[in-house]
Amino acid sequence: MSDAILVMKDITKTFPGVLALDKASLSVLPGEIHGLVGENGAGKSTIIKVLAGVYQAQGGSLSVNNTLISSVTPQAIHDAGVRFIHQELHLVPHFSVAESVFMGQELTGPFGLLRKQMRIRSEEFLRKTLDVKIDGNTLIRDLGTAERKLVQIARALIDNQARLVVFDEPTAPLASGEVGKLLAAIRRLKERGIAMIYVSHYLSEITNICDRVTVFRNGQTVAVFNEIKKDSAGALIEAMVGREIKNLYPKNSHSPSSPAIQAKNLGDGKSFHDVSFTLHSGEVVGIAGLIGSGRAELIDTLYGLRQATSGEIWLNNKTIQLSSPADAVTRGMVLVPRDRRHDGLVLGMSVSENVNLGSLKDVSKMGIEMRAMALARAAKQIKDLDIRPPNPSMIARLLSGGNQQKTVLGRWLTTNAKVFLLDEPTVGVDVGAKVEIYQLVETLAQNGAGVLLSSSDPGELIGLCDRILVMMRGRITHEIDTDGLSIDRLVAMTTGATGSSVTRNKSVGAANE
Amino acid sequence: MSKAKNFLTLSRIIDAAPLVIFLGMLIYIGFNAPNFMKFSTMQLVLNQSVPVVVVCLGLSIVVMAGGDGVLSGGIDLSIPATAVLSAGIIAQQLAQADAPLWLAIVLAFAAAAIVGLINGLMVTRIGMTPLLTSLATFVAVVGVSKLVTSSRRINVDDPFIVFLRDGNIFGISAGVFITLILVLMFYFLIHRTKWGINMQAVGGSRDAAEMSGINPSYYQMWAFVLAALTGFLASFFILARGSGSSPGTEDNLMLEMVLATFLGAAFSPRRVVTLWGAVLGAVLVAALSIGFKTMGVNVFWTGLIKGSLILVVVALGALSVKVKA
Repeated sequence: MSDAILVMKDITKTFPGVLALDKASLSVLPGEIHGLVGENGAGKSTIIKVLAGVYQAQGGSLSVNNTLISSVTPQAIHDAGVRFIHQELHLVPHFSVAESVFMGQELTGPFGLLRKQMRIRSEEFLRKTLDVKIDGNTLIRDLGTAERKLVQIARALIDNQARLVVFDEPTAPLASGEVGKLLAAIRRLKERGIAMIYVSHYLSEITNICDRVTVFRNGQTVAVFNEIKKDSAGALIEAMVGREIKNLYPKNSHSPSSPAIQAKNLGDGKSFHDVSFTLHSGEVVGIAGLIGSGRAELIDTLYGLRQATSGEIWLNNKTIQLSSPADAVTRGMVLVPRDRRHDGLVLGMSVSENVNLGSLKDVSKMGIEMRAMALARAAKQIKDLDIRPPNPSMIARLLSGGNQQKTVLGRWLTTNAKVFLLDEPTVGVDVGAKVEIYQLVETLAQNGAGVLLSSSDPGELIGLCDRILVMMRGRITHEIDTDGLSIDRLVAMTTGATGSSVTRNKSVGAANE
Repeated sequence: MSKAKNFLTLSRIIDAAPLVIFLGMLIYIGFNAPNFMKFSTMQLVLNQSVPVVVVCLGLSIVVMAGGDGVLSGGIDLSIPATAVLSAGIIAQQLAQADAPLWLAIVLAFAAAAIVGLINGLMVTRIGMTPLLTSLATFVAVVGVSKLVTSSRRINVDDPFIVFLRDGNIFGISAGVFITLILVLMFYFLIHRTKWGINMQAVGGSRDAAEMSGINPSYYQMWAFVLAALTGFLASFFILARGSGSSPGTEDNLMLEMVLATFLGAAFSPRRVVTLWGAVLGAVLVAALSIGFKTMGVNVFWTGLIKGSLILVVVALGALSVKVKA
């Protein structure tokens, strides 16, 4: 492969206790758009950071344009003509387009900044290279997200020295209407002979614009596709997920009864729109979706952390207005938040105090906490949930991730809540604790609680849920029964590889997908 | 771009509110104070505003380099204290130690530079918030200037200082003329050079600046040093205005500096702190002060009104960020 513009070979990178990259390789040909895909934690961002000179690899070689780069620093990489379009926008809101494009590389003359020339050149670049008309005097804060992304691209390319551009999840912050604009601009760049690496979770975009694709799994390069067609998504998913089926999940025997919580045309005007679904008592419903799909915001809104701007939330067949999480808890709806260390636990408090935090009224008389009663309740939860070590006065900070999560769950189990919102309950939890948490979810449903499970683990969703709502760019694109649903198909739906027509597949009865 | 420009949106009303309140008060004063609308009063306003204008240059630089967040953003409350210290040193050297003018100036300059370096190091190296850092240095520096002057008024009759007060250049009062030159110099540095715009980028988004290869700490450090130097420059006008140094000048100066700088954001088309905005704000604040004096408003009331105005201006700024988010 002597004609490749970038060759990364046998790159190895370890973090304490984790092998992030295991002899991974990546090679990009001149003028191509090269897709880089893989699940979360597969090593995509690690290899990009190695390429950027942010991380130093422990092994392997990197050459750009047939020149071996022995010390990979950000400056050396920049000088070699490699540019990065970071996922975050990193722009100054009150700067103009011209100022932003030339930030750090301003044009100056004997009388200071050449403002007019910077404006003309940035407008020209945006028009000719990216095919958009943006006034160079417009302020960044008055631009849409897609246009900001284009400004960011212009900043990376304005010096005309770029030979390889790395796009890291460029469409993640964009609404679906804006994606086309960005992809069109990327195609224009390709016409100019610039090679690109395109990192994305959206397989529909990958199959749409990429010439070749490298697939990462567990820090290794597992496949390189030399030809990408519209229907390559299936093969990509297979390579990404691998064929491993685990018997982690408890036997599912739910009997859904009356509706517990319903969303009717719910929207917050920004992150999600027109969301409708029903969760019955005794049922587990999953929400799948990429980061930025509106999943997290929907959960927050259901719990009263954010306010909806349209639509209604119904609880037990009555419409409700939630102005705060306290409202939700009073009505028997509780949340196990995704960031348990910050939002779920008071880390400096003991297990007992954390468990009783949600039900202080029950363990206090006339406003004074009854220590003995509180300890007894905590001890019962510790026993029921097998929280280790079984010590109620253990400080929460010192517990492992799984046991912290069980403590949060234990708090709400003492409150007789009827609706449980679980947001990524098993992130950073070891497998043993995962199984216990899954069993707990199952028990909750069997006891008649409604559980809404938002998760980025497709196996977990299929294993635990009766139905799954798939969200993409703020809308529910699929509602699907988990009977006979394969991981591949679910991944295809979350990544938009199946098109976005709403396939409604109502809860009871055989699946006919 | 594609957004329809609605003329009377909530955020626009909030943006314009500080100006409307201010102009309203000035108009009220104009109708009620004898002789307020006269040319001689306007001249007095400009002369009086000069020290505030100069320290406002410094504060606006710090805010531009540190961001306009009220709590964590850039602010330097210690500039007026530095100005008073510098004035104290010059007065003490000239009147009591019989030192030549140049030595007095060198000593004052060194003192100001040290204050700026301390502020900058505390913020960029230790990571303290500018608000707390400069509040602490304000108190400490006021202490030092009381030591230097024994907390007494010192009269100065050096010809240079007298010229700043009474002299004319091209028919304009010397103080105003020199200040105008200073403003133009700072304007060029901040708004017309690569250095200045990179410094603004740091305040606008630290991450964006860093991504573009700009070193944020370097610019923040320099902002504090420049701010302290504006304190040094302002000290000459303080000496001229008061014909010497007198203790306690810093309180009112700080109040007016903060009010003027943040009021100035309302003048800028981008609704951020700028040099021109701060300068205009300083003149308006001086007009208000003199207006109150000519109307015979009790000094204690003036303090209350100015303090409330700061609250309103800063609160509206925070509110406008909230509305836009």
